[in-house]
Amino acid sequence: MIQLRNIQKSFGNQLVLKGIDLTVNKGEVVSILGPSGSGKTTLLRCINFLERPNEGQVIVDDFKVNSKQANKKEILTLRKKTAMVFQQYNLFKHKTVIENVMEGLIIVQKQPKETARKLAMEVIEKVGLTEKANAYPVQLSGGQQQRVGIARALALNPEVILLDEPTSALDPELVFEVLEVIKRIADEGITMIIVTHEVSFAKDVSDYIVFMDQGEVVEEGIPTVIFNNPKEERTKRFFKRINREEDNLESNLTNAI
Amino acid sequence: MQIDIPFIFTALTEIFKALPLTMIITLVPLMIGFLIGIGITLIRIRKVKGIYRLANFYVSFLRGTPALMHIMLIYLGLPLLIDKMAETFHWSIQSTSIPILLFVLMALSLTAGAYMSEIIRAGILAVDQGQLEAAESIGMTGFQAMRRIVFPQAIAISLPNLCNIFIGFLHTSSIAFIVSQKELTGAANIVASNNLKFLEAYIAAALIYWGLTIISEKVTALLEKRVTVYNRGGVA
Amino acid sequence: MDITLIVDFFPKLISYLHITLLILVAAVAIGLVIGVVIALIRIYKVPGFNQLALIYISFMRGTPILIQLFLIYFGLPTLLALVHIDVSRANPLLFVAITYGLSCGASFAEIIRGAVNGVEKGQTEAAYSIGMNEKQMMVRIILPQALVMAFPNFANSVIGSLKDTSLAFTIGVMDMVGRGNTLIASSLHALEVYITLSIIYYGVVICLEKGFSLSEKKLQRFEGSLAVDTK
Ligand SMILES: Nc1ncnc2c1ncn2[C@@H]1O[C@H](COP(=O)(O)OP(=O)(O)OP(=O)(O)O)[C@@H](O)[C@H]1O
Ligand SMILES: [Mg+2]
Repeated sequence: MIQLRNIQKSFGNQLVLKGIDLTVNKGEVVSILGPSGSGKTTLLRCINFLERPNEGQVIVDDFKVNSKQANKKEILTLRKKTAMVFQQYNLFKHKTVIENVMEGLIIVQKQPKETARKLAMEVIEKVGLTEKANAYPVQLSGGQQQRVGIARALALNPEVILLDEPTSALDPELVFEVLEVIKRIADEGITMIIVTHEVSFAKDVSDYIVFMDQGEVVEEGIPTVIFNNPKEERTKRFFKRINREEDNLESNLTNAI
Repeated sequence: MQIDIPFIFTALTEIFKALPLTMIITLVPLMIGFLIGIGITLIRIRKVKGIYRLANFYVSFLRGTPALMHIMLIYLGLPLLIDKMAETFHWSIQSTSIPILLFVLMALSLTAGAYMSEIIRAGILAVDQGQLEAAESIGMTGFQAMRRIVFPQAIAISLPNLCNIFIGFLHTSSIAFIVSQKELTGAANIVASNNLKFLEAYIAAALIYWGLTIISEKVTALLEKRVTVYNRGGVA
Repeated sequence: MDITLIVDFFPKLISYLHITLLILVAAVAIGLVIGVVIALIRIYKVPGFNQLALIYISFMRGTPILIQLFLIYFGLPTLLALVHIDVSRANPLLFVAITYGLSCGASFAEIIRGAVNGVEKGQTEAAYSIGMNEKQMMVRIILPQALVMAFPNFANSVIGSLKDTSLAFTIGVMDMVGRGNTLIASSLHALEVYITLSIIYYGVVICLEKGFSLSEKKLQRFEGSLAVDTK
């Protein structure tokens, strides 16, 4: 179980997160939606202390980290319990696909090389890249790179995988293959927190939706309620705009054809 | 042996008088080298038949040998050539009447030309191909486009490299003391042996070079700021 | 001028090439140690030492190698005399190696630091996100990438140092140029000596360039090309 309690974060004197509380149960997939600049990325990065919150607690399993007192060792332990998938993939450029996946297993988890290799191959197969196991990141398409990013996170068998807009840097035709992989691992019962702009995907894959705006959680709940019956004005407006954008896109497409 | 600190100051004022000569040995080659560099770059970019290989060899050879060699080859070789020519064509000049400084300047100009051509070439290649096309699309000739659009941008891009080459040649000019030029290092050498205070004299010289380098770095930083404002979102 | 003399001088001079190369190797070795230490001091901004490192780099970048050579040659004995070590009779090669080592150290430090800073921030974050500590991140992720990126500059710097060794004769080192000067004294054919020296230097530089560009290719194949940036 992941718990965030009263997470606050400011950059300079701009308060970007104004006290976020969130609970994610084991095996749940939670999607965070919200307009640009609302603090979604910052929140995700506070969970593994890539940004140190100014205030609040992060609890993973029974391991509790206080933002203020947290020392290096605690942060390290926290990071070992979590994994992240980045918008820009951030694969280790000097390592092949399999080396990328093995790196954490060998160096952080101290697994023997052979066990690590076997495990890595299994995960790589799961994301459909067995043939590319010995390729370097530069030799892969964006979609393939992001699937490696997912494999790298998945291999560590973390309590939770944090995904920050995993498909927004991809060409449209590559989005699908990545979303499919995420859906597949969601079905396996991996706990995930996903920041995404892909509304229909979020609807499809999530057990729980969190809508953020201006550093606050405006509304949260199960997808059917949030999407079909939002209570808050800001949420309604957000979905209306998104729907309009999608309609526009579609009519543009039909016009074009 | 003890360090005579007051003497460092005496030496400083004495050596400082040689600054103009150092500046001449630094700047003249850089300016001539700049012109050579442009010529060489054009030859290499346009791949002018015949001299193209020669230009490549010139750059490669001068960059591949110490500047001391260039000075010595010109200083020792050119007089032989001049005397030979004077003999055959009955000129009245004699190589011994030509000041050594002239040979040094010639040699270092050739050195500078080779390094400059690399800097200019890198600068020109770094300018977006679209700039040239845009210039030609509004009806400029290739030459106009080069001179008015590509070249100014190339210089802006090359600014840090040009600063580096200035500092490099400021330091290279010290080699001229080997052929008894009385620039900063030569002057330091004289002060050192006249007073038998070697360390102090060279400390003084070091301070002068160091100060000059820091000043040129500061000036470049200022220029760069200007250029990047001017080209905001462009070249920088 | 007598071209045939070049053929005569060539073997005499090239038999001193190993001294020139010895200076270069010593300088690069000393320079690497100093360079890595100084780069780390600069990267981690070690209090106190960082300022010293800045001054050191600025001074080495700010003064001609010739002046540095004289400073070490005249200054080091004075300095060591304070602690009662007598190096006034030491081989001038020692002073040359120290000077060129210090000079290489300053350039290498800046090259390494620049390359480390040039590694994308995302690499650090990815390393942290899988639970690496700072040291693991540095040693396993940043430095390997930085060293590949630094290689071309490093190669340039080494070639620069080779050319700088031509000045070692000014403090009486018997390297190629030093030997050349004795040849000039005995043969009075200075131009031919310098032509021969130039040919040898040029040859060595060409060989170094070829060697470096080969190893660069190998290195990049081994490490995966970092030059290509995929968005
Ligand atoms: N390192 C930083 N320094 C200063 N301000 C920052 C920093 N990171 C984020 N911010 C600010 O914090 C706010 C929230 O940013 P954040 O990246 O979390 O938004 P987001 O919801 O992820 O937006 P998007 O959908 O565009 O990715 C923004 O106003 C941003 O400008
Ligand atoms: Mg974001």
